[in-house]
Amino acid sequence: MRAFDFAVPHDIDDALGLARDESAFLAGGTTLVDLMKLEVVSPEQVIDINRLPLHGIRPEPDGLRVGALERMEDVARHPAVAGPYPVIAQALLASASPQLRNMASIGGNLLQRTRCGYFRDVATPCNKRSPGTGCPAQHGDNRGHAILGTSASCAATHPSDLAVALVALEASVRLRGADGERTMPLADFYLPPGDTPHVENRLRPGELITEVIVPPLPWAGRSRYVKVRDRQSYEFALASAAVAVDLHDGEVRDARVAVGGVGTVPWRLPAVEDALRAGRSHEEAAALAAAGARPLAGNAFKVTLVQRAILRALTELAGPR
Amino acid sequence: MRSVNREDGPVKVTGAARYAADHHPEGLAYGYLITSTVARGTILGMDTAPAERAPGVIAVYTPFNPLRLHPYTQADTAELLPPLQDDRVCYYGQVIGLVVAETFEQARDAAALVTTRYDAERPRASFTAGLPNATPPSGGTPETDVLAPGVTSIDEALAASDVSITETYTTPAETHVAMEPHATVASWTGDRLTVHTASQGVRLPVERLTESLGIDAAQIHVINPYVGGGFGNKWGTWAHTPLTAAAARALGRPVKTVLTREQVFTVIGHRPITSQTVSLGAAADGTLVAVKNDGISSKSAANDFYESVADLSLALYGSANLHVSRKVVTMDVPATTIMRAPAESNGSFALESAMDELADALGMDPLDLRLKNDTPSHPVSGLPWSSKHLEECYRVGAERFGWSRRSPRPGTVTDGDWLVGLGMATATFGASRGEASIEVRLRDDGRAVVSGAAADLGTGQSTVFAILAAEVLGIPVDRVTPVLGDSATPPAAKAGGSGSTSANGPAVRLAAEAAKEAVVKLAAEHEKSPFRGEAVTYADGEVRGGGDAMPFGELLALLGVPEVEVTATSPRHPRREHAFRSFGAHFCEVRVNRWTGEPRVARWLCVVDAGTIVNVKTARSQIAGGVVMGIGQALLEDLRIEPDTGRFGNATMADYLVPVNTDIPPIDVEFLNYPDTVLSDLGARGIGELSIVGAAGAVANAVHNATGRRVRDLPITLDKLL
Repeated sequence: MRAFDFAVPHDIDDALGLARDESAFLAGGTTLVDLMKLEVVSPEQVIDINRLPLHGIRPEPDGLRVGALERMEDVARHPAVAGPYPVIAQALLASASPQLRNMASIGGNLLQRTRCGYFRDVATPCNKRSPGTGCPAQHGDNRGHAILGTSASCAATHPSDLAVALVALEASVRLRGADGERTMPLADFYLPPGDTPHVENRLRPGELITEVIVPPLPWAGRSRYVKVRDRQSYEFALASAAVAVDLHDGEVRDARVAVGGVGTVPWRLPAVEDALRAGRSHEEAAALAAAGARPLAGNAFKVTLVQRAILRALTELAGPR
Repeated sequence: MRSVNREDGPVKVTGAARYAADHHPEGLAYGYLITSTVARGTILGMDTAPAERAPGVIAVYTPFNPLRLHPYTQADTAELLPPLQDDRVCYYGQVIGLVVAETFEQARDAAALVTTRYDAERPRASFTAGLPNATPPSGGTPETDVLAPGVTSIDEALAASDVSITETYTTPAETHVAMEPHATVASWTGDRLTVHTASQGVRLPVERLTESLGIDAAQIHVINPYVGGGFGNKWGTWAHTPLTAAAARALGRPVKTVLTREQVFTVIGHRPITSQTVSLGAAADGTLVAVKNDGISSKSAANDFYESVADLSLALYGSANLHVSRKVVTMDVPATTIMRAPAESNGSFALESAMDELADALGMDPLDLRLKNDTPSHPVSGLPWSSKHLEECYRVGAERFGWSRRSPRPGTVTDGDWLVGLGMATATFGASRGEASIEVRLRDDGRAVVSGAAADLGTGQSTVFAILAAEVLGIPVDRVTPVLGDSATPPAAKAGGSGSTSANGPAVRLAAEAAKEAVVKLAAEHEKSPFRGEAVTYADGEVRGGGDAMPFGELLALLGVPEVEVTATSPRHPRREHAFRSFGAHFCEVRVNRWTGEPRVARWLCVVDAGTIVNVKTARSQIAGGVVMGIGQALLEDLRIEPDTGRFGNATMADYLVPVNTDIPPIDVEFLNYPDTVLSDLGARGIGELSIVGAAGAVANAVHNATGRRVRDLPITLDKLL
């Protein structure tokens, strides 16, 4: 870990004013501190944002609003979340451990870095960490890597469970920087790696996520997050599915489907949703999930697994069909 | 059976127990290891100047500025060569430098500034690629055959069987991930060295430090009463220990080196990769007539340890014809070393899976097949087992677990979206009684101190000392102070080979008996003794004679004798007339999700025949712990080696998966508790390794019963069941 300056601002404008290109914002610290110890990131300045007024979990007419500093565990247990959006609560509770969920913030969760072992080991090349050095995952240890949205430069998965659920629900993030405030759908916020895997999202230097907004979806009460992994807890997804269905007389009239553990970004599946809306069987719809997948030597099983994860979620929500 | 709380429980849960890294002698400096980032080659140069200029740095040692260490001469399960003595790299993650600084953080950050240039060579890092060139182990026996009269080869016996199967079973590299990372704190006073280092036996680092530092054993004092788990990885004395001691000598101040979690994966050895091709041949009634196992183990180029993985096939089931072979694939990977039930754990996965496959082929219940081939004597030596109640384990277990409810047709039992299967396998591990010396001191405060250079890795060994001494001395357990992990105490048995209690237990009892005799003699002879001249006896912690009785502490205080000290040695058992082995039976229920394939263990029972159980409370934990580790072996553990680089692909605690609480079902443990009086008067055989053996086989068999899929390559992950 390199030496760094440390600042503890008390309001948002102070925090934004302090931020420089080589700054990092510290919320729960559950990703940042790890990566600093590993020297994967070495910010010159760390700005502790925990005293900023970025709190609150409020249902409002335009949707559920969650302050960026709310902790994962608190959000998962909140009645405004667990009742109307079970998929969010389940995604959060399938993440990390209670200790980590008590520390980790919602904003930080959306910005957590990939668990790719090459990214986290500075002794190895990695285009995401050190642009232009190469991607050993293409031919190396890649059982956990992505099959969707990959490039020759990077096949790292986006690790957040929450982001998968939020993308399915068409959530937005509110961003604030020195130049002002803007709001953007979370699905547009993340960037596939292409030739620039070090650029992971549209956040500008010095900009903060201040809030997450989940629009109303009356039938989101019938939603489910299926997370598949080797052990039952404390592991990132091999594949996951966030699914919500609008069910009438046992028929799926509408659906939202996004998957995790398989994409370089949280992966919405409009083709699967269309097929379900068109009355196709669960199996036919799920079969469209891995369209365009580019599996590597160690992760071809994810092509099947992601379809099964969707099928499992659909069966649990709507019965077999 | 006695059930006694751990004597060291309170200090462990309150944090008062001081493990190796918890020692901070005056003037302490901190070491941090630099490790190689190629698997094979020569180091051309290391730029240490930026590190030397970094804040707080005291010294940077490399092959170009080494701490002189003498070659190792004695066998160990660690590496063959001491660190930094040449410029060769034998594996990825090898120690190639030590930075010493005023703080840990300064040493760590300076180490990151060192750059190394290599002339890298392509490593031998693929076990599969190495299989065609597997060689017989140097110094080992390549093959063992036992053939019935008139039979000329094992293949002839197989061909003559009514039913036979042949399959190949493979297991990956695994690592111990004990809770406590390795640490060494070394300080010198003149030419005398004091070391706190995590070890399964404090005399082991004494031996290695003696040879590598060129000093006498009498100059070295190793103290390590608490060990946070070992499973074999703290048997060998690894590179950081002599390096830290040498740095402390060179710098004239104490040095502490603690390995990071990531460093533990490579600086410390791992369980070898294995492959076994097993053929079983049986008569139509299930009687085995041929058992053949060709075993191959990986072996690091950095040392000589491999697993004779097929050997269990010679010891478990009776058969008129037996054949085992042993080969190794040498790889440029970190040291291969012992890990809980070396050879037998992997060996049983293959044998117990094959027995299940043979039962299928015979149309027999797999439990009946095992009952049919239970043998009263060792299949090779013909010596009778000293004490064997395996059949009772099978029968008690089957009844208690509900084995009769197992469907003989795989894939036919479901519960919602889960396919449900039952599996069983035999647990077993070799037993012995080594030599052990124990000192007992009866003190004038009425306490007894029981000492020996044994180790308690979390097993409950120190509580065993207290229980057995208290029983002989007739005093409460809490009036006995066990002292383990001190090289200045008598040479008790180290924690390895499931042999601590079987060797140390009898020695504790002998020493306690001798202490009683000593205090009786003192009472009868001491000039100030009120019992002088009487016929003195000892019972219930008291000296008795002439109608009077006095607790031994009071007597010693009266006589002005602070303590009575005796040492006794229990000899090694020669094992000439019997064969010795512990046994047990595992039963488990596994559920496999019909959509996504995750295997989950739902129930477990282990019935144990391991001789006398000294403390059922800690023994139960030992057996349950072995089952937990076995579930990890069955479903999760896989230390992946990158074939191109020789780097471990998942050498972090996040990526090398071991079970978490939710992976573990209720574990039911039943002890038969028949004393093995042939082995010792105490009758305890040892339980440290027994229950991991057979666990993976039981899971594999249950997975097959649930799904109809036979997975012969560990771990059984969901991708193999989709």
